[in-house]
Amino acid sequence: MSVAADRATGESLIGRSLPRREDLALLTGTAVFVDDMRPAGLLHARILRSPHAHARIRRIDLEPARRLPGVVDVFCGADVERSVEPWGDLTQDILTGDRIAFARDKAVYQGQEVAVAVAETKWQAEDAIEAIEVDYEPLEPLVDPEQAMQPDAPVIQDGVDYEGGVGNAYDASYRIRVGDFEFARDEADVVVRARFTTGCSGAAALEPHACLADYNPSSGKLTFHSATQMVHPLRDGLSKALHLPRTQVRVVAPFVGGGFGSKGDVFPWEVITAVASIRTGRPVRCVLSRREVFETVPGRGRQVRYAELAMRADGTITAYGERVIFACGGVSAWGNQILRIGTQIGMLPYAIPNIHVDGFAVHTNTGPAGPVRGFGVPEAIFAKEQLVDMAATELGLDPVEVRLRNVLHGDDCPTVTPLGQRVDSTSIDRCLERAAEAIDRSEAEDVGVGFAVCMKYTSARHPSLDSDLASVRIVLETDGTVSVFSGDSPHGQGHGTTVAQVVADALGVGVEKVRVTSSDTETCPFSLGTWGSRGGAILGTAARMAAERVRAKLIELAAHILETAPEELEVAEDRVRFVGMPGTGLFIQNLVLLAAYATHQLPEGFEPGPIQAQATYDTPTERERSDGTGNLSPTYSAAAHAARVEVDRETGRWRVLDYVMAHDTGVIINPLIVEGQHQGAFLHGYAMVFGEEVRWGEDGAVANAGFKEYFAPSAADLPSLHPTIEVPAPSTVIPGGQKGAGESATAPVAATIANALQAATGVRFCSLPIMPDDVKRALVESERRGAPIVYPRDMPDYDGPTEWPEPEEFDDLELID
Amino acid sequence: MKVEITINGRPVAGEVDERTLLLEFVRDVAGLTGARNGCLEARCGCCSVLLDGQVVKSCNVLAAQADGREVETVEGLATGDTTTIEDPTTEGSVGTYVPLSARGVDEGSLHPLQQAFHERGALQCGYCTAGMLLTLKEFLARVPDPTEAEVREALRGNLCRCTGYQSIVDAALLAAERMRG
Repeated sequence: MSVAADRATGESLIGRSLPRREDLALLTGTAVFVDDMRPAGLLHARILRSPHAHARIRRIDLEPARRLPGVVDVFCGADVERSVEPWGDLTQDILTGDRIAFARDKAVYQGQEVAVAVAETKWQAEDAIEAIEVDYEPLEPLVDPEQAMQPDAPVIQDGVDYEGGVGNAYDASYRIRVGDFEFARDEADVVVRARFTTGCSGAAALEPHACLADYNPSSGKLTFHSATQMVHPLRDGLSKALHLPRTQVRVVAPFVGGGFGSKGDVFPWEVITAVASIRTGRPVRCVLSRREVFETVPGRGRQVRYAELAMRADGTITAYGERVIFACGGVSAWGNQILRIGTQIGMLPYAIPNIHVDGFAVHTNTGPAGPVRGFGVPEAIFAKEQLVDMAATELGLDPVEVRLRNVLHGDDCPTVTPLGQRVDSTSIDRCLERAAEAIDRSEAEDVGVGFAVCMKYTSARHPSLDSDLASVRIVLETDGTVSVFSGDSPHGQGHGTTVAQVVADALGVGVEKVRVTSSDTETCPFSLGTWGSRGGAILGTAARMAAERVRAKLIELAAHILETAPEELEVAEDRVRFVGMPGTGLFIQNLVLLAAYATHQLPEGFEPGPIQAQATYDTPTERERSDGTGNLSPTYSAAAHAARVEVDRETGRWRVLDYVMAHDTGVIINPLIVEGQHQGAFLHGYAMVFGEEVRWGEDGAVANAGFKEYFAPSAADLPSLHPTIEVPAPSTVIPGGQKGAGESATAPVAATIANALQAATGVRFCSLPIMPDDVKRALVESERRGAPIVYPRDMPDYDGPTEWPEPEEFDDLELID
Repeated sequence: MKVEITINGRPVAGEVDERTLLLEFVRDVAGLTGARNGCLEARCGCCSVLLDGQVVKSCNVLAAQADGREVETVEGLATGDTTTIEDPTTEGSVGTYVPLSARGVDEGSLHPLQQAFHERGALQCGYCTAGMLLTLKEFLARVPDPTEAEVREALRGNLCRCTGYQSIVDAALLAAERMRG
């Protein structure tokens, strides 16, 4: 049956794998990214960055650069001291005051902005920054977060007062206190513990960060194009930093070449480029080089977890404890939010009754840490899901059986975990069964099978951000087409298709009649942006709500014209028609024309003019409480992964022979798009194990700021992926039943592969990434000892901490709500 | 120096600095921005174009080296006849939406690789897509009936961060099948 015929019979557009409406421009090379814009009079900005990870800046001499040909402007922090204020405090928490355009007295990481040159050509700008003279006094760099936490360590951000901070631990206040951890631990039949570290993998979106500021001196208005994931928060951040009213700043994101979290912030180069355009009165573009991206764009940040898990002999998990130390770099981007949300959500899909977590977001002289696909959940899962296997092994239990005993069960939902997470629905139990069925568990030499499970938030109410909303405005045009102004900022997620499907479905029109505009603060209503797996569920709900409001107006109008009751009518075939009667009623186009051009025919009280509606959906979520509990997410997607991995003992190389992903993504609007999200999310999880890691030397210099040394996996490095096994448990909170899709396949990958490697080799790998050299050395050591080992702790050259940190004292004062 | 390059069958001449990269010539002189700068270190493949039929990373070739030669970019791909993609329309009073019709480009004139990428969801942000398409075009001309492993190997020089590659590999195999007829 043709698609058109389906629609006449009222077949839903939800659940259809429509190829994306965005594709043609991208496939034919006509899509415009920031670097493709060609405004008249364009100037180019290049930024001079600190070569030192930690250094006093004694003197900056811009004069030699100003004299060079083609140079229009050169400036540094001292020049904008009064016109640009620090930012980062838009949200209501402690992240105040350390986000600045330029390092002034002190640079706190390699690559921090020091000065900028603006010139007629890129080459002239490049020559100009080379001519700037800066006198640095290098200071001792603090690269290791545990060293940075030592009481005698110099404080990196010595001029900023952080509420809840202690020394370089700018957020030392994160605690989870659930149940009686110590009692449960003492009562348990087995307690396992290990120190886990995860590397700073970058998002490495292929489009380098780029922005183009165009300040109009006659109107005083700044039009700012940026490769951003959040146009409205960027507009507000820029306005605040530049002391401009929000009416005078328009932020637009054209096509954006990937983000994965790394384009969701207000960045120094954005503020600098805006200032450059205001100063010169001309459009100015700044495109980061790949080196700049690796040095200064937030990556995951290194995390250290001292984690322990207690289990009863029957396999029941009774307690979990962690001390988490998160290297957040020289400034406080989203670090403490990642620590909090990642750790809390990472406790799922188990309802652990006793939890004790002490978390520290720590400044280090490294590039800023920020969101990268999974927002801290993959790091938490890497530790916890390995401890589950370790405990199961000690008790002689099967890793699948022990997980089935502990995961939340769909039949028990809705349920509230001891951590306060209200899980409305889930199929994680069935996902795990399906994954275990689908993977080959037969034994073979040097081959192991591993499992891991997770749940993932669907958007979230951040501890620092008491809002979790998205907005959509819909206008019916006088030819019956539908303009949708969507608040979020897609960068590959296909909102132009997904949102069109939702709106077309609710209005009974063809999807080709719907045009979605996104990422423009002037035309699109306020939204928080595109991150946190929120598009389908949160933005999709806003779109549905707006469409339903428009539909009610259409039906009211049609009922008046047709002299019938609204209940007799429905929308389908571009019409408002009598229920179940194709070809009857009125075309929507005619109703819109009446409202615009024949207002005497409108019913009394019906507002003339364009038929339109705006809707905002803010999730029914809670703020984090001071004991770490709270329902931060409206609903939870889930994933059970299984890997069959082979190890080459000669080379230490490991290879994934088979990988199974079983997911609960609730109701799926477009399966083609969601499958792409799962498979792409898998890549980012796989990359954490495969070798992606920005590495800083002891001097704080990035050792691998290019794709040559940074191991981003190619098609030849990744395993073949089967279609994801979807076991939908529709959300009962989100009206359409959707759940987040973008990150649930990232979270379990590293733990799944590590568990499989342990099964294959007997070595417990506790540090990411897991490189062939690590495997080879661990195997040699394991063979020498004739026993399974924990890597790297059991290695002879291991120089990490030997003492297990004691849990922090319970402090009543911190737990006042 | 003066450089003249035939791009997608049309000669393009320009007076450029001798350091100008082929990528910059294509983007800034010819105005074809489909080839993209992802790293400028010949690693990511976003700038891949065909030079006399061979895949090159255009950030790794000087415009001067391409003087007098033929370059094909993604903008030159959509010319052949292919089947159209059905749009879920309601056949209402409004004509159906025809993307890019004003430029003479529609679903009916996509290259089989472009068509297959569209159907299989082989692009998300689309930044790597042009390079992927041209690399695969050259590869399928040499190896018309490849295995999955051969496709993956052929794409070793082209990074994608969005898709996890499976959909790209599937699309390449689908296009290869259709191109064999």
